[in-house]
Amino acid sequence: MLKVSNVTKSYGDFKALDSLSLEVQEGSVFGLLGVNGAGKTTMLSILNGLIDIDDGEIDVFGFDIKKDIKEINKISSIIPQHLAFYENLSVKENIDFFASIQYASKEAIEKAIEINSLQSLLSQKSSTLSGGQKRRLNIAIGLLNDPKIIYFDEPTVGVDPKSRNEILDSISDYKKLGITVLYTSHYMNEIERICDEVAIIDKGKLIKQDKLDNLLSNRVSDKVLVETLYSKRLPSLGLKLLDDTVVETSQNDLASVLEELAKHEVFIKQIRYGSSNLEKYFLEVTQ
Amino acid sequence: MFRAMIKKEFLLVLRDRHALIALFIMPAVFILIMSVALKEQFNQDAITFNVSVIDQDKSISSKKFVRKLDKANTFNVLKEDEEIQILITIPKDYYDLQKKSQKLDLLVKGSMKGDLLEIFKAKLLKEVMDAKLKQMSKEIKKTSFQASKTMKKISLDYEKLYNIKYEKTELIPSSTQQSVPSWIVFGMFFVIIPMSTIFINERKQNTLNRLNSMNVSIPLLTMAKIVPYLVINHIQVWIMLGVGVFVVPLFDTPALEITGSFMALEVLSIALSLSAIGLSVLIAVSATSAEQATTIGGISNILLGAIGGVMVPKFIMPDSMKELSNISPMSWGLDGFLDIFLRQADIMMVAYNSALLATFGVVLLMVSMLILQIRTSKGL
Repeated sequence: MLKVSNVTKSYGDFKALDSLSLEVQEGSVFGLLGVNGAGKTTMLSILNGLIDIDDGEIDVFGFDIKKDIKEINKISSIIPQHLAFYENLSVKENIDFFASIQYASKEAIEKAIEINSLQSLLSQKSSTLSGGQKRRLNIAIGLLNDPKIIYFDEPTVGVDPKSRNEILDSISDYKKLGITVLYTSHYMNEIERICDEVAIIDKGKLIKQDKLDNLLSNRVSDKVLVETLYSKRLPSLGLKLLDDTVVETSQNDLASVLEELAKHEVFIKQIRYGSSNLEKYFLEVTQ
Repeated sequence: MFRAMIKKEFLLVLRDRHALIALFIMPAVFILIMSVALKEQFNQDAITFNVSVIDQDKSISSKKFVRKLDKANTFNVLKEDEEIQILITIPKDYYDLQKKSQKLDLLVKGSMKGDLLEIFKAKLLKEVMDAKLKQMSKEIKKTSFQASKTMKKISLDYEKLYNIKYEKTELIPSSTQQSVPSWIVFGMFFVIIPMSTIFINERKQNTLNRLNSMNVSIPLLTMAKIVPYLVINHIQVWIMLGVGVFVVPLFDTPALEITGSFMALEVLSIALSLSAIGLSVLIAVSATSAEQATTIGGISNILLGAIGGVMVPKFIMPDSMKELSNISPMSWGLDGFLDIFLRQADIMMVAYNSALLATFGVVLLMVSMLILQIRTSKGL
C-alpha cells in the first residue's frame, strides 16, 4: 500500500504540494488527475526519490521514503512520459542494459518482453520503432525489476489509438498480476476506463479522492446543452448560445426551448444533461 | 552495474558517426595538412650552429678539436656571452687516453628547432669521431698491448659521447613535431560532442532520472562516463602518433620521432584526457540543449586551442601571449608533448604539467557532479 500523509514541498515561495494526503490500495489502479502545475510531477519525483519532501510522511509497502528510498526503488518503477531509453541501441541492448543496472532476473526480463509484445522487435534499433512500439519498450523497461508498484506518467501522450488501447489493456493486466498502479493522465476517458479510484489535485492540494463509480454518479449541475444542426435563424431566437450550434438551458426550461426551436425549424442533433462524465466533474471542481 | 554502464556508453559513442569523425578523422587530417603545409617553414638546408666552447681539458687535442669546429662550415664558435644556441663543455682529461672516456656537456641555450638539434648532434658526432679516430690510429702505431688497453677506454658509443641539458628556452619544433601534439590535444577535447549529446539526451528524456530511480548514483554515473572516454582518448593519441610516424613521411614531410619516454607519454595522455573529460562533463551538465553544448564546447575548444598554441605555435607568439597561453590546459598538454618529442622528457619532466591537467580535470568533474546533483534534486 502507498500512503502519503500531509506532504508539503515548496520551491522558494511556491508550494508545489500543500499538505497532500493520498491512500492507494494494494493491487488497485489509482488515477491521479490534475491540470499542469497541479503537483503531479512533483509527487512522482518524490515517490522516485528524485526530490525530498519538506514535511509529511510517505510509506511505500512498509518503507519510509525518507530512510529507505533505495529499498523503495527496488520495488517500484516509473514509466516516464518521455521515452527514457537509448534510441541508438537496439531493443535488446536497451533491455539488457536496464536489466543489468537493476540485477533483473531472467524471468522478469522475459515477462516484460512478453507483456509488451516485444519478442519480434528485439534486434531492431529503437529509433526505428513506431511511436506505439517505443511506448511499449518504455513500459517494458519499467517492469524489469518486477515492481510491486508502478507509476505511469501520462504514458499515452502522442500514441496512436491502437497502441493506446494495447497500453491500457496491458495496465489492466498488471492489476491481474497484483501490481499496484498509480496512473496520471490528461485523458479522462483513460482514467474512466482503467482506474478503480481517482484523486483530483489542484495547486498542490487534494480536492477529492473517491472511487471512480462514486465520482461518475455525481451530477453537479442541472445544465442542459442542446446541440442543433447549423441554422441561420438560431442567433435571432434570443436563446443563450455557447457557439453557433449549441444552446445552453436548464432542465426546467428545456421544453420551451425545444418548442421554440421546432417552431423555427431548427433541427436538434443531440441533448446533453448535466456533468455525467469525469471530465466535466473535473472541470467543475477545479474551477 | 558499472560494466553495463560502460558498455552502454561505448555502444552509443561508436554508433555516433559524426562524433567519430570529429574525434579521429578531423585531427588526423589536420596533422597531415598542417605538417605538409608548414614544412617549408622548417627547411633545414644550409644550417649553421652558433656554439661556444668551454675547454676545461686544455689539452693539445681539445684545442685542436675547438679549432676544427671553428673551421667547419656547420659551426660558428662564438664567445660565451654572445647569442649562442649551444654551449659545449669539454671536461677535464677528456682527451687523456689513459683515463676512462668522459662525456662532453652540451647545454642548449637558445631557440632551436627540434630536428635541428638532431642534426647538430649528428654533425658534432662526426667531428668527435674524427678526433677520436685520429687518436686511435696514433695509438695503434704503438705496441698492440698498450693499444688494446687504450682502445677499451675510448668510447665510440653515440649515447656515451655527451650529456645534454636544456635551459628553459624554447626548442622550435618541426612542422610534424608541432602538428601532431597540437591536433592530438585539440582532438581529445572534442569528446565534448558525443559526451554532451548523450548526456543531454539522457537528461532531456528523463533517462537520467530513470537511472537515478534505479539507484544509480551521480558519482557512479559520472565515473561510468569517464572510463570509456579515457579509452577513446587513448586510442586517439596512438592513432595520431601513428599518423605522425607513418603517414606524414609519405607526403615528403619529416616523420615524427618519439625521443622521450613512452611512460611519460602515457602519464601525460591520461592526465590530458582527464582534463578534456572534466571540461566536457562540465559543459554537458551545464548546457540546456545538445546544440548549446556543442556550440559552447566548440567555441571553448577553439579559444583554448588558439590561446594554448594549437592554432598558432607558441614560439612565434609575443611574450604577452605566451604568458596568456599558460592559462589554457591545451597549452599544458602541448608543452608536455613537446618536452617528450623535443627534449627526450621522462616522467619527471612531464610530472608538473600532468599534475596540472589531472587536477584541472578532477576539479571540473567534482563541480559537474555538484551541478548535476543540484539539477536532479530540483527536477531540472
